[in-house]
Amino acid sequence: MKLLIIEDEVNLNTTIASFLTAAGYLCETVSNFKDAIEKIDLYEYDCIILDIMLPDGSGLELLRYLKLNKKNDGVIIISAKDSLDDKLTGLQLGADDYLTKPFHLPELAMRVAAIIRRKKMDGHNVINIDEWLYIDTIAQRVTIHNAAIELTQKEYQLLLFFVVNKNRILSKSAIAQHLWGDDMDLADHYDFIYTHIKNLRKKILSAGGEDCIRSIYGAGYKFQVN
Amino acid sequence: MKSFATYQRLNTYIAILIFLLGSIAFYGVLQYVLLRQLDDSLKAEKQEISDYVQKYHQLPVIQNTKNQWVIIDSNAHTFANQKFRTIKLYNTIEQEMQEVRQLSFALAINNQQYFVQVNKSQAETEDLLQLIAILAFSMIALLLVLNYFVNRKLVNKLFKPFQKTISAIQAYKIGQKAPLQLPESSLAEMHLLNTSLNEMSQRIYVEYRSLKSFTENAAHEMQTPLAVMRSLIESIIQQNNLNEQGLNQLTTIDDNIQKLIKLHQSLLLLAKIENNQFQLNETVAINEIIIAKCEEKNSFIETKNLLLKLELNEVQLLFHRQLTDMLVNNMINNAIRYTPVNGEITIQLNKNELIICNTASAGSLDAEQVFKRFYKPQQQQEGTGLGLAIVNEICRLANWPIRYEFQNNKHCFIVQFFQKVS
Repeated sequence: MKLLIIEDEVNLNTTIASFLTAAGYLCETVSNFKDAIEKIDLYEYDCIILDIMLPDGSGLELLRYLKLNKKNDGVIIISAKDSLDDKLTGLQLGADDYLTKPFHLPELAMRVAAIIRRKKMDGHNVINIDEWLYIDTIAQRVTIHNAAIELTQKEYQLLLFFVVNKNRILSKSAIAQHLWGDDMDLADHYDFIYTHIKNLRKKILSAGGEDCIRSIYGAGYKFQVN
Repeated sequence: MKSFATYQRLNTYIAILIFLLGSIAFYGVLQYVLLRQLDDSLKAEKQEISDYVQKYHQLPVIQNTKNQWVIIDSNAHTFANQKFRTIKLYNTIEQEMQEVRQLSFALAINNQQYFVQVNKSQAETEDLLQLIAILAFSMIALLLVLNYFVNRKLVNKLFKPFQKTISAIQAYKIGQKAPLQLPESSLAEMHLLNTSLNEMSQRIYVEYRSLKSFTENAAHEMQTPLAVMRSLIESIIQQNNLNEQGLNQLTTIDDNIQKLIKLHQSLLLLAKIENNQFQLNETVAINEIIIAKCEEKNSFIETKNLLLKLELNEVQLLFHRQLTDMLVNNMINNAIRYTPVNGEITIQLNKNELIICNTASAGSLDAEQVFKRFYKPQQQQEGTGLGLAIVNEICRLANWPIRYEFQNNKHCFIVQFFQKVS
């Protein structure tokens, strides 16, 4: 899986790259418009992570360029502008997703994975964890040892978030943001996450799955698999 | 046309007054002149009679006409001086009562005293005066009517560019992509007005743009370093060489970054609302928004075992969708957050008002302070303290008065919709 990260803020560019590299992607990074065009012309990427505001051009211009050249690369816009207009323009120009800065890195990984799954044309979007846990992301069906388990919408979202960011520590804040978005501060106070995780773990265990959700003291949770 | 009507009315009153005074003066002067003329001709008649008497020592034979006749009394005992008077007399020739000017004098012929009265009918003078009066009045009437129509036509024409300017200003919205462009006018005053307005709009437009770009830049410039901090913290968390305390400190930093983000977004939103950076022209079905929000937050409501009562009518408002969404969201979030477990939330909506009440955990809030920024009752730490301030600003923008009441151990927030109910 090849990713191109177009972001002029070097620190952010590097941390995104290292996080996604650790998640198993091959990352290339550029920090300006000119270099980005060069890379796009030469290679094909599964997903491009695109900052809208670049020192020598606009990310929206780059979207137009991709469209004009009939490139099929998936694009996720990361922008500090939380303006609805920008969001709509970006999506109209062919971007697959839009993430407002500052975001949690696991959230970005989640969105990138979703785009790549969608772009893959082989029809089955099934995530396989060590041959015992299967998640069909189209039907939103989870099977453990070939038996389907019933999950609520939130539990499903939580599981998918864990699986995509397996072996990573997910902070409560990142989980809350992922599950509840702007309502996360409501969730925060009553320790909703703990309840949901407890329920999810119980369901996995009772279906004969492995106990892979670890609580990391002081930090959050981790979905640990080999 | 208000100012024109006032002007026209005043103009008419003054014209009538002047014409009336003028006519009275004219009438008086004219009557005086005509009377003098009448008296002169009476005097001439007297002179003629006296001359004749002096020359022939006998009375002349006088041919009376219908306008002038002489009466001579030979048995006069009175010796009055020459005297003019106006009396009503019976005109024997015309056979009617008439206003008559009379000159009476004494005359002596061969020691015989005669008393002579020369009479002249005033009918002609009266007729003349009447004619002149009618003429004067019809002239006044004609002048006033003409004046009215000409003024109206003229003022309408003069006011046309003014009205164009007014409708252009009314149609102009501050968020538009260009400043106001009023047309040139050949009238000096209109030209001055239009160019002044164009210049003012240009200034406002420039300031508005710079304010808007400032808020956008501020968003960008602050979010980027926050994004860097957050991503670095998350990278560090992933490294396996940290102990619990280290991780704890890092997540605390991240939580505070989250607070900063939220605070920053809220303050930016407040600035945007205060600067009127929203176009308020969307039809919003607020009842649908409320239902959607309640469904969205249902899991929180269930977890706290809250009783949610909805009494919603269909209400459409002309406002801004996102802002209405935010208004409802903040109010419901507040209700959920501050209702104790097993409490109750009621939401009532009709075309006049939206009332959201929730069970209070402690006593009444300070109705004066509750909508102020960073007001947090009872040292409550969660939340930015800006939720209700944003609600308040949105209501102010929409021109919906909002108030807080404490009823039956319940916090009630009441938004009154004033206008634009369709």
